[in-house]
Amino acid sequence: MTNYAASEKAFLGLNHAQVFVYVLMTVISILFLFITNAYLFRMNFQDWAPLPIPTLLWFNTMCLLLASIGMAWSKSGAKSQDHQKTKVGLAVAGVFAIAFVSGQTWAWQELNVGGYFLSSNPANTFFYLITALHAFHVLGGLVAWFVVTLKVFKGDATMLQSESVGLLGAYWHYMLLVWGVLFAMLITT
Amino acid sequence: MDQNSATYEGQQMYDPKGWWDTYVFSQDHKVIALQYVCVALAIGLTGMFLSLLMRMQLGFPGLFESIDAGSYYQDVTMHGMIMVIYLLTALFLGGFGNYLIPLMLGCRDMAFPFVNMLSFWMYFLSVIILVASFFVESGPTGAGWTLYPPQSILEGTPGGDGAGIILMLASLAVFIVAFTMGGLNYITTVLQSRAKGMTLMRMPLIIWCIFLATFLGLLAFPALLVGAIMLIFDRVLETSFFMPEIFKGGEVLDYGGGSPVLFQHLFWFFGHPEVYIIALPAFGIISELISVHARKNIFGYNMMVWALIAIAGIAFIVWAHHMYVAGMNPYLGFFFATTTLIIAVPTAIKVYNWVLTLWNANIKMTVPMLYCLAFLVTFLNGGLTGLFLGNVAVDVPLSDTYFVVGHFHMVMAVSPVLALFGGLYHWYPSVTGRMLDDTLGKIHFWITFVGTYLIYFPMHYIGFLGVPRRYYSNDQYDFIPQSVADLNQFITICALIVGAAQFILLYNFIKSFYKGAIAPKNPWGACTLEWQTLESPPGHGNWGEQLPVVYRWPYEYGLPEATADFVPQNVPDEQIT
Repeated sequence: MTNYAASEKAFLGLNHAQVFVYVLMTVISILFLFITNAYLFRMNFQDWAPLPIPTLLWFNTMCLLLASIGMAWSKSGAKSQDHQKTKVGLAVAGVFAIAFVSGQTWAWQELNVGGYFLSSNPANTFFYLITALHAFHVLGGLVAWFVVTLKVFKGDATMLQSESVGLLGAYWHYMLLVWGVLFAMLITT
Repeated sequence: MDQNSATYEGQQMYDPKGWWDTYVFSQDHKVIALQYVCVALAIGLTGMFLSLLMRMQLGFPGLFESIDAGSYYQDVTMHGMIMVIYLLTALFLGGFGNYLIPLMLGCRDMAFPFVNMLSFWMYFLSVIILVASFFVESGPTGAGWTLYPPQSILEGTPGGDGAGIILMLASLAVFIVAFTMGGLNYITTVLQSRAKGMTLMRMPLIIWCIFLATFLGLLAFPALLVGAIMLIFDRVLETSFFMPEIFKGGEVLDYGGGSPVLFQHLFWFFGHPEVYIIALPAFGIISELISVHARKNIFGYNMMVWALIAIAGIAFIVWAHHMYVAGMNPYLGFFFATTTLIIAVPTAIKVYNWVLTLWNANIKMTVPMLYCLAFLVTFLNGGLTGLFLGNVAVDVPLSDTYFVVGHFHMVMAVSPVLALFGGLYHWYPSVTGRMLDDTLGKIHFWITFVGTYLIYFPMHYIGFLGVPRRYYSNDQYDFIPQSVADLNQFITICALIVGAAQFILLYNFIKSFYKGAIAPKNPWGACTLEWQTLESPPGHGNWGEQLPVVYRWPYEYGLPEATADFVPQNVPDEQIT
């Protein structure tokens, strides 16, 4: 049985998946809003001792930026029905996103070696928690990336027509944006 | 636009292949709704049983030796958490939402049936984790449903040193994931999948209510998730998000510098919208039932919608009225008192509109209508005491007394449950194709309605005497007169009767499922689409070959040119007879 769409016109011209992903992004934004609020509240207490932000984080940020560019490349490939371009873009996006997450875990390792343990100061705890929460959401995106990429590499031409690549791209850019805000907060406070 | 040209074109609908697909891991919204209802009612009965244990201790202290102070606090905590989250939130949104959204909007299923199924199983998992905490060493957490640190994660609090508190927080986190999956589905379905002609302002009010309650949930639950994760960190990794410096037996614990008030903010930023997550669907059920069973169009539909939107908006800026005694800047207290009183305005608009719907109506005293009327008075009562407590100066002396217990049980426990029962009686024929027994329904109604008044009304007086809530025993306090003990005995007896009466409902459900009168297709004469399906109960895919087309609003009663006293939403003007 075909699940025909209802015919009342679509909300703002969006399709189902777009509404789903955009509302999900709103929910994730709220989550990070609360955690940053808690951070800004807690940092005013006396025992707060900011930790040195590892230089590695700049490198990781570049990785995430490149991942985002890869996604944009892939999206433009899908738009022009260029299978090869879509594939390359997706591969770049995935590899750099994985590099970002790996880089983040490396940064934790560095901090740990440097004696900045998770429970030794609230600033440390927040640093680990915020970066972990963000990395967790990137990992969630990578699950979706895996599904889409597998289909594209198998030569599933419908993927080029659907919104999947575009939505994946939107999530990647969104993750970059969230990281940008969080990173700015971490280095300035 | 014709039906095939829409954005969801060509997507295959899920087709169950065998028994497991059809009844267990089903992606059909109706089956998922029933799964939600059954699990929620089962855990709700557990919650009720816990409340009866509490009442036994309060009414007849020491009668059961197994109830000591620790287990009493565990009962209090688990009762609150189960009723608010795992019963009411799950049942209203997971149960009613899943069943009614696609049927009332005229679509075949939710936008993402697979995610919908996952939502239920995640909910089920969260309930299992919750129940598991009863079986771990030292039992479930006894920190009060608000789980305030520092005491919630410290030794000495029941469940605080064992796995109880961790399981509680983990269960909440899983529940939030389940809710988010369901919620994204409800939002997408409402925005995207409405039948042709079903404009937003032609949606039944209950769909508006579920839609807005879902938005509230999606925006409020992350606060609880953040709080829960941070509290798990404090408990397991000994961090100090919320934990101040603590001395125990002369020794300094590893904690220091944290802010318990931060947790209160996070908790209540979720906790207050949660009240409306429960109340809005209840409002919706009442709006539907009152119009159908009074055979009259709902009064002020547009105003009802805007009042709902206003309530949903203001619900986010009143949270700190739960924290007046936490030590707050007086100006902040003034702000939250003001917003709290302002939210009474749209709420009052709704109550007036319900009453005006009844005015000069052809009121049928069916069981659902009885529940509506009971809801109106109970909600009004509970709402009025809310005006007392919203004011800082009145709240401070009444804080943490039985007055508060009486207030919130009236307004957000009994009222929604009355709406819930009304809804169950109303939609049971749509689900099963049979009518519930009317006499049993009325017996159940009267015992429940009168009984709950006898339970909660006296609590206001006990509260005025200053009797604190959550105390295991009132024996040691000179200021508490003997009359309180007598009244507590009376309340306990009433609670036992009301508790027992719920088995009438269960019996009615089971008996009517097999032997109830066969329900006609639209037994109440409602205009909404869920009663206009080809088959009754609706089959898989809901609508047969053709999706319905909507021509009018959902409350078309007493149209002069029609012979019947109602015109269904999918009947065009030229077919009115």
